[in-house]
Amino acid sequence: MTTSCNTKEEIKPQSRSRLYAGGETTIFEESSFAFSSPASNLTGDNLAQHLDGDAAFEQVFVTPPAPLNQGLGSIYNNSSCIACHPKDGRAPHPTELNDFTGLFLRGSIVGTDAHGGPLPIPGFGDQIQQNSVIGTKPEADFAVVYTETVVTFDDGTPVTLRKPVYYLKNTYIPLPSQVMLSPRVGPPVFGLGLLEAIPEESIVALADEQDSDRDGISGKPNYVWNHEEATMQLGRFGWKGINPTVLQQCAGAYNNDMGITNPYFPVENSFGQTNNSDPNPNDPELDQQSLDDATFYCRTLAVPAPRNVNNEEVLIGEKLFETIGCAKCHVPKHETGVFPGIPEISNQTIYPYTDMLLHDMGFGLADDRPSFSANGQEWKTRPLWGIGLTEVVGGHTHFLHDGRARNLTEAILWHGGEAAKSTSNFKSLDAKNRAAVIAFLNSL
Amino acid sequence: MKTQLNWRNTTAIGLGLMAMTFTSCKKDSTETPTAKKSYSANISNIGTNVITQTYKELASKSAILYSEVVKLKDNQTASNLDIARGAWRDTRVPWEKSEGFLFGPVDTKGIDPAIDSWPVNKIDLDAVLAGSDALTESFIDALAGELKGFHTIEYLLWGGTGNKQVGDFTAREFEYLLSVTENLKNKTKILADSWDPAGENFVKNLTEAGTSSSIYLTEKSALQELVQGMIGIADEVANGKINDPLSQQDLSKEESQFSHNSKNDFANNVRSISNVYNGKFNVNGLGIYDVVKESDQNLADRLNDEINAAITAIDNIPGTFSDAVFNNQAAVNEAKDKITVIQTTLESEILPIINNL
Repeated sequence: MTTSCNTKEEIKPQSRSRLYAGGETTIFEESSFAFSSPASNLTGDNLAQHLDGDAAFEQVFVTPPAPLNQGLGSIYNNSSCIACHPKDGRAPHPTELNDFTGLFLRGSIVGTDAHGGPLPIPGFGDQIQQNSVIGTKPEADFAVVYTETVVTFDDGTPVTLRKPVYYLKNTYIPLPSQVMLSPRVGPPVFGLGLLEAIPEESIVALADEQDSDRDGISGKPNYVWNHEEATMQLGRFGWKGINPTVLQQCAGAYNNDMGITNPYFPVENSFGQTNNSDPNPNDPELDQQSLDDATFYCRTLAVPAPRNVNNEEVLIGEKLFETIGCAKCHVPKHETGVFPGIPEISNQTIYPYTDMLLHDMGFGLADDRPSFSANGQEWKTRPLWGIGLTEVVGGHTHFLHDGRARNLTEAILWHGGEAAKSTSNFKSLDAKNRAAVIAFLNSL
Repeated sequence: MKTQLNWRNTTAIGLGLMAMTFTSCKKDSTETPTAKKSYSANISNIGTNVITQTYKELASKSAILYSEVVKLKDNQTASNLDIARGAWRDTRVPWEKSEGFLFGPVDTKGIDPAIDSWPVNKIDLDAVLAGSDALTESFIDALAGELKGFHTIEYLLWGGTGNKQVGDFTAREFEYLLSVTENLKNKTKILADSWDPAGENFVKNLTEAGTSSSIYLTEKSALQELVQGMIGIADEVANGKINDPLSQQDLSKEESQFSHNSKNDFANNVRSISNVYNGKFNVNGLGIYDVVKESDQNLADRLNDEINAAITAIDNIPGTFSDAVFNNQAAVNEAKDKITVIQTTLESEILPIINNL
């Protein structure tokens, strides 16, 4: 292709590489389908399995027995994968918590299980299901109270943040005291295979638990239990990095979010509870192939390319992102290693903007619910790729683990703890430079 | 949401170069853009005269369906049951004609899963019918998508085997049917209002694409949305709606199985593609066709031929789709193949034109 361009408009070398955010998987798509395409280098059997996985991801489950898609419940949060990851993207913060939404609450009591993980709440497990098949009592209704605080930029501009505090109502049995609850919204599911393919040593190399370089930032890996291999492994997925693989993430979601038993997690989430009305005649309800297909799908969705990488404001924002310290945790670039069976995601240079590590984010964002190595103030750095397409894909701009932030500016201002210095730097910028940072994020 | 394009003939690098060429020649927003052809009229026409009007028709047909169900409940005759069933089919037409543009409020407001989820959760439905809850519209509204919307209404009107008689209805079924059709009426009204300039005015994202829309920052992104929507439904009909029951010889995978409305569903899905492509619903206007013909008149016309051939192939399936899946597989395959041709043309010939604008 030849097009005459003015030389000054040519893409700068650093922008040229970051344009391929997902390496060879990258697609150039700016519509609501931006998170929903197969990796652009998928072919043959791998493309076919991706498409089978796409169908599995959209499957709507119903109460057994049924000729098609049986196994829902008996208690659940939602009835399909796509319902919590609309268009493979991010669920909004719900206006009504007890509708069929992409938000649920995890729960635990003080202490740890045999592997250092959270202790389930007796009678409720480690995830609260607010929906149920007809005739079964759901575990509880979700409830929330918001408090508002005003944060002010150094130039005097105020921003109102809303802080949700969640609790349970109408529990099917009395809730034990001292319960810790933590909210979660469904995050986007593209690019997960690439993150899984980053070699462990690359991630661990970024950790600095004792902050030996005294920069105030001390990324820490989460080490979690791999249920299939019965070993402790680096956690990569989930808001606190509690799952080591995409497979465990998917299998856990089938079981906990939808009440679908599967070869990986074959026991109903309500097992042993007095509201368990599932007589389990047919476990596992999901076959290995469907689980593998859905997992393969999440591993092989394309990453959308950034837009406007040459735009002057974006370039200023990109520079500021680095100078005010964001890039210390939102590490732009990684190289993937070899991922068995999926050459398309192997040996790729990618730009996810995450270090895949835990950081103390301060008490404002804290859920006060530890999970393996992650304490009640620590969260895993979220990848930022595709974040500017959130609105076109999902019709909203809700961010963070429960969607409390209503736009990117609010999301930045919630960053405390290790990120407090960067946030304070951001607050000291003038309106034009703040807009440039947001323009950069929106270009991703 | 998938797309079946086999990229072997269009390497990722090639695509990247196209996109990069576009990006690298894009002026900074601070500069005056060079005179570039605007497709605002095409995008606006599709938004205003195709999408918004299709949803208006869906809302008005849903209101008629509700009123026919009211009449049926008040006067339980075989003839009123037939009229109500006809009203369901009539409502299904604009809905299927809208599935070529499953983006925006239908998706972000959760309306699609609330009105078109399937399979029907029969176990739960029976449990609700056997229970004693007052079956108000708000009670139904709070239920899962698999207990409301088109297919639950279809199941109640036709029954599981398709030979339900008016005398077979229980009082609870009528109560449920009334509220579930009222719920459909309300949901489709919300959907129509969300696009309507007099309502939430989502259509402004198309009429103002590339200017003040917060989601379509360029005209190209809006055109991509429209073409991807067409690709999405072509893929869904060929590889899902038709291929799943056919390849697995399993009628539980047929979507409109109780009413035997599948052939109409498929044809109206293809018409949905045609409407967006030609910018034509009740009136004629500019569409994607007019964008394509500037680059390639033959290609622009060929897609219309392919659309017509697909509709003909669907119409040529003898009898019901349920029967043809077993007894006329060649005709069903022919329809599937003809829809796949549309998908391939959109993906490998038309989308690249849009991406290179």
